[in-house]
Amino acid sequence: MHRRSPVATILLYLALALTMVFFLGPILWFLALAIRPPETAFARPPVFVFEPTLRAIKHTFVDPGANAQHLTNSLIVAFGAVLLNLPLSIPAGYALSRYRLRAKKYIMLWYLGLLMAPPVAFLIPYFILITRLGLSGTYISMVLVLQTLTVPFSVWLLKSFIDDVPVELEEAARVDGAPWHTVMRRITLPLAMPGLIVTSMFAFVFAWNNAAFPLVLSSGSTTTLPIGTLGYFATSGVTWNFIASAAVAAMIPPMLVFLTLDRFVVRGLTLGAVKG
Amino acid sequence: MPWLLLAPSITLLLLLIAFPLFFALYNSFYFWNLQMSPQPMAFIGFGNYEQALGSSTFMLALRNTLLLSIGGTAIQFALGLAIAVLLTQTLRGVTLVRVLLIMPTTIAPIVVGFLFRYMYDANGGLLPWVLQVLFIPLPAEGLLGSSTTALMSIMFADVWQWTPFFAIVLYAGLLSVPDALVEAARVDGASRWTILTRIKLPVIKRTVLIILMLRFMQLFNTFDLVLILTRGGPGASSRTLSYSLYQQGLIDFNIGVASAMTWIIVLILNVILAIYIYIAFRDWEW
Repeated sequence: MHRRSPVATILLYLALALTMVFFLGPILWFLALAIRPPETAFARPPVFVFEPTLRAIKHTFVDPGANAQHLTNSLIVAFGAVLLNLPLSIPAGYALSRYRLRAKKYIMLWYLGLLMAPPVAFLIPYFILITRLGLSGTYISMVLVLQTLTVPFSVWLLKSFIDDVPVELEEAARVDGAPWHTVMRRITLPLAMPGLIVTSMFAFVFAWNNAAFPLVLSSGSTTTLPIGTLGYFATSGVTWNFIASAAVAAMIPPMLVFLTLDRFVVRGLTLGAVKG
Repeated sequence: MPWLLLAPSITLLLLLIAFPLFFALYNSFYFWNLQMSPQPMAFIGFGNYEQALGSSTFMLALRNTLLLSIGGTAIQFALGLAIAVLLTQTLRGVTLVRVLLIMPTTIAPIVVGFLFRYMYDANGGLLPWVLQVLFIPLPAEGLLGSSTTALMSIMFADVWQWTPFFAIVLYAGLLSVPDALVEAARVDGASRWTILTRIKLPVIKRTVLIILMLRFMQLFNTFDLVLILTRGGPGASSRTLSYSLYQQGLIDFNIGVASAMTWIIVLILNVILAIYIYIAFRDWEW
């Protein structure tokens, strides 16, 4: 490697610092909003140093806990979506990884196409259908329609993980007379377990971060965290501390998932197409 | 056997997408306002399509959507590539930056909407203050309240959220390029720029194409940010196709027109997708 001039080094560090400030600054600014005294929220010039207060967090999640139920709802919907997602996408990912199918390319692209569909186009029909089925405002209605996102994503990602499990192990078991479902259950799936966990965690983030479906399908008692927060905009004298408090709670789970899965982030974000 | 394994997911997904599509197809030929009647009201042929395509707001929404998706994807790719190259330099702390950089991408788009609505606030938001300090002129109505800056403000929030995505994926791609290849080019006297554009990027073409496609499509469907930041306004200056559809169907309850728009959007998306698939997946091993 050739050596860098000191000026170039300084410029590079400057660029690095600027990148951090630009991309993390807004997040910290929003975190600060959740714990700053309300009167400093829109102060000009901005107030960077203040005495933190937990009032907004207490109000939103403890007493009276205006958003506590929304947090629970978000968890129920996202976990529900992941649970229903697994039995649907595991067999499909396995089939697409292990079998020679002439239509494989088209099936994969069909799943991909679903992922590109505009969610808003589905909102009106789902709204009317779910209402007619008497399911409006239920968790199950949200869990069900979220499968249009989680399943295509999971099938792609799981296929890439199952591709990594050496097929020779399965063949050896099959020679010993084990039927395909035993092979899948006893050999492939345990070996692909890390992939299953990674896929489930990303699917959780997908479901957790979706706002379009709960916007239309949830009711007051089943609404998710970001949608529940919308209520604050409707009241006069917007209570930004509460919005930030609820929004920060909505940010934390996906951030934790990404930090935990650091090594798999590239793979997850590209549906398994880039091994990273 | 493989079909048996695929059947559950395909059946459920077919039901979940076939219903809305047929629903929209059927109702796109009827006059139907949900506030007036719970049932389609009168068969009007292609009237809804004519109304959707004939309205000036639809064309504006299409223009806005294309501007947002092409502009947004291009900026995010360029900026992301620059950061990816920065991350490949030997600098102290670069690993920490790489890990934390992805944080904006993890946040729900609707929450990014909340964040930027606070940041953009005309009466005390952080960004107007920063721009003022830098002597950059601002519209009097605020960044979100002016028809010249509203769409750009939505794009800026999206650039903030998704540039890290490009940076992280491209960084991983650049690292995967074999050293020998780069070394050979360097011996031949190739400049860094040439090595990047003529050797590294072509080697990771597959990665580049897939992330460009994913982002373009997500931007094309932009809804959450518009809903929170501008509601398509002021006027229709920041309205996207998805937001138009929402407005038509779930605010004005014109199910007929919204259904026609659904099919127009689905057709546009399929054409774009077909072109992409032809380009990106041509030499793909399945």
